[in-house]
Amino acid sequence: MVFELNAALSDKLHILSAAAKYDVACTSSGVSRKSKKGELGAAEAAGICHSFAADGRCVSLLKILFTNECIFNCKYCINRCSNDVPRTSFTPDEICQLTMEFYRRNYIEGLFLSSGVMQSPDYTMELICDSLRKLRLEYKFNGYVHCKAIPGASPELVEMAGWYADRMSVNLELPTEAGLKELAPNKTRKNILTPMRQIQAGMAESRAILGMKGGNQSSYWYTQKRMGRSLPGSQENLGFVAGTANNRIPAENAGSKQNTHKGINNNIKNKINADNNLNADDSLNINNNIINNTHNTETALSSRDSVLAQWNRSDTSRGFVPAGQSTQMIIGATGESDYQILSVTEALYQKFDLKRVFYSAFVNVNNDSSLIVNDGQPPLHREHRLYQADWLLRYYGFAAGEILSESRPFFNTYLDPKCDWALGHMEYFPVEINTASYNTLLRVPGIGVKSAGRIVNARKTGRLDFNALKKMGVVLKRAIYFITCNGRMMYDFLKVEEDYITRNLVSGETDVVKGFGDSITYKQLTLFDDFQLGKL
Amino acid sequence: MDKPVRIYQCENSPDGILSAVFEAGISGYGHNYIKIQPLDQDSIYNIELFSEYIKVETSAKKAGNVLETIESRISHEAVFFVMSALLSEDGDRGNVIYQFVTYGFTIGQGITKALQLECVARIFEIKRKVHNEAHFYKEFIRFQEVKKVPSVLMAKIEPKNRVLTLVTAHFEDRFNAEYFIIYDKSHKEASFHSADGGCIIRILTEDEEKKLDSLLDVNEKYADLWKIFFNSIAVEERKNYKLQRGNLALHYRKYMTEFMENN
Repeated sequence: MVFELNAALSDKLHILSAAAKYDVACTSSGVSRKSKKGELGAAEAAGICHSFAADGRCVSLLKILFTNECIFNCKYCINRCSNDVPRTSFTPDEICQLTMEFYRRNYIEGLFLSSGVMQSPDYTMELICDSLRKLRLEYKFNGYVHCKAIPGASPELVEMAGWYADRMSVNLELPTEAGLKELAPNKTRKNILTPMRQIQAGMAESRAILGMKGGNQSSYWYTQKRMGRSLPGSQENLGFVAGTANNRIPAENAGSKQNTHKGINNNIKNKINADNNLNADDSLNINNNIINNTHNTETALSSRDSVLAQWNRSDTSRGFVPAGQSTQMIIGATGESDYQILSVTEALYQKFDLKRVFYSAFVNVNNDSSLIVNDGQPPLHREHRLYQADWLLRYYGFAAGEILSESRPFFNTYLDPKCDWALGHMEYFPVEINTASYNTLLRVPGIGVKSAGRIVNARKTGRLDFNALKKMGVVLKRAIYFITCNGRMMYDFLKVEEDYITRNLVSGETDVVKGFGDSITYKQLTLFDDFQLGKL
Repeated sequence: MDKPVRIYQCENSPDGILSAVFEAGISGYGHNYIKIQPLDQDSIYNIELFSEYIKVETSAKKAGNVLETIESRISHEAVFFVMSALLSEDGDRGNVIYQFVTYGFTIGQGITKALQLECVARIFEIKRKVHNEAHFYKEFIRFQEVKKVPSVLMAKIEPKNRVLTLVTAHFEDRFNAEYFIIYDKSHKEASFHSADGGCIIRILTEDEEKKLDSLLDVNEKYADLWKIFFNSIAVEERKNYKLQRGNLALHYRKYMTEFMENN
């Protein structure tokens, strides 16, 4: 290991940004905040992508590691302690200066700070908290900050970071317990899920105290609400009642020092001590074992105690982690099926109230022979399908079991998950555009969230026909097989039949709307059958 | 027999176009026979046969009147649509605004959602183009510190539509304590913001343009650091220039630090 402690700022930046690039969380969204007079920075609820890197990904934050020294030896990571790479660290001042100056030139929306584990999780987390405190209080930065929680850090430090950051995340790394044990033996499920649970509880309480300013809800939450289903992050999921008079702590008077301080120490530590089941083996029972086991330990949290110790915070107006939390899973390093990954995703949204789950296609940087799946090419297509399915969960009201199942655990290579579902459920189609509900319209391939909203609104002024749909941005090339306008399909020859539609959708060239004919076939043409020479 | 089409010619400015809408509106000639043509001094226009040409004087009072009427008889959102269309450089915007407003007086509030109507779809498209371009420039605009004491930031953009006000408003908030200049090269305008919060926009003379251009010729430590960062963060195995070009069109890269060779 080579230590470069006195490297120039440019070298440090080069090393520590290259080391951070495999963390794919890229959004700068979720929080809308006006600037404070005399101070630099504001935040936008919709994302702002300041640039796009050569791999096509959005660049919106200064994504760096505090240090790439690490005592862990995770097999997939380029910074693992057994690798021989130059190691260096930033100082908190350097991080603050870089953030401020880049922000002033409109290169970034804010800071994304992760880190390798230097000496111990608590030691590292303390350095991170110190940088964030400096950035917010000394340099007076009011832009977006995304902070990673180090697995195994103590709850006090996780909470401290949460008051300074807009978003926090802890990487799940692998979808199953077995995978994590195999590839990252230093990280345990318990160390990862405990801070997640803490942040979730803290956010719920912050919302109870500050209203929506204390934190936004996730898109999954809004979709579940719209569908009339039980909401994630609600009482049943958390095991404590937020917002009742009992545990509402007024911001200016945080109760007696002892009580609220006890809140963190007793509740979270009790939970950790009482929790013996988080390490249970789970291979396929992901929903049931892992996630529910943390749920069960919530019984340690009584409804009266708070999880937030506000006594050491002077300014809580930003709320606790207002932009929510996210996580990341590596795809393709271990042998889980798409169905397993998607089930874990759904459980995370439901039980931990996450904003986003990110998928990172496994890039084989270490060429470690003990890695189970050692292919060469990162599974980009699979990652793409997973993101498509993730969108279906968060915006379209699908459940993971509708998209995939135990008997069909992998995605269709040729068709996106929504088309695939539609073709497997032709009994729901065709859908009449002028009368269908919003949720039904969302199920039609070719109609997305925006188009469905426009259709519902435009219907109030008059009937719609196919021409109008085209103007509204509906992808008619896909949708024509599934919809009727005023009772008629767009072309009389369209067959509402699975094989015909599949052939048309899968082949790139057929565009019935552009007039490529009504009888598309791919069988070998023969003189006698197709040209009817036999009849002569 | 069909009536001859009336073409109202006006100045190529928001007030001019709204004045033409006013004149056309009160004439009661019939919206199917009215066209509005904003005139640019430099361009050459074809004269149509069998059409009447009427020159409209620009009047701020008439323009204000039109906006007030839209606000009261249709909705605030409709005013927003019309204002956004006025920021665009689309030659057809006069016609589209006129048709939109006429239909709006009949239909009322719901007009802004009635995308099945031709004129509404068109004005929606124009508004979307303008705001998308403003959003892109908020993302891709790059400032440089052209002066150290006091610190002055300056940026240059070359938009197709008149998005300077939209972009400036965004930075007025987040850079509220900074001196900054945003120079719009295609429309020869610039906005100047002072650290105490005041902001002005003015049309530039040739000399002023040259001076601003010369200010941008600086070598910056943080610009170099940004280039280092930008080049480090791409994952080699996922390189995809086509995707990058789809997300970040080439013509936006002209004044972006990370894509510029020198500086």
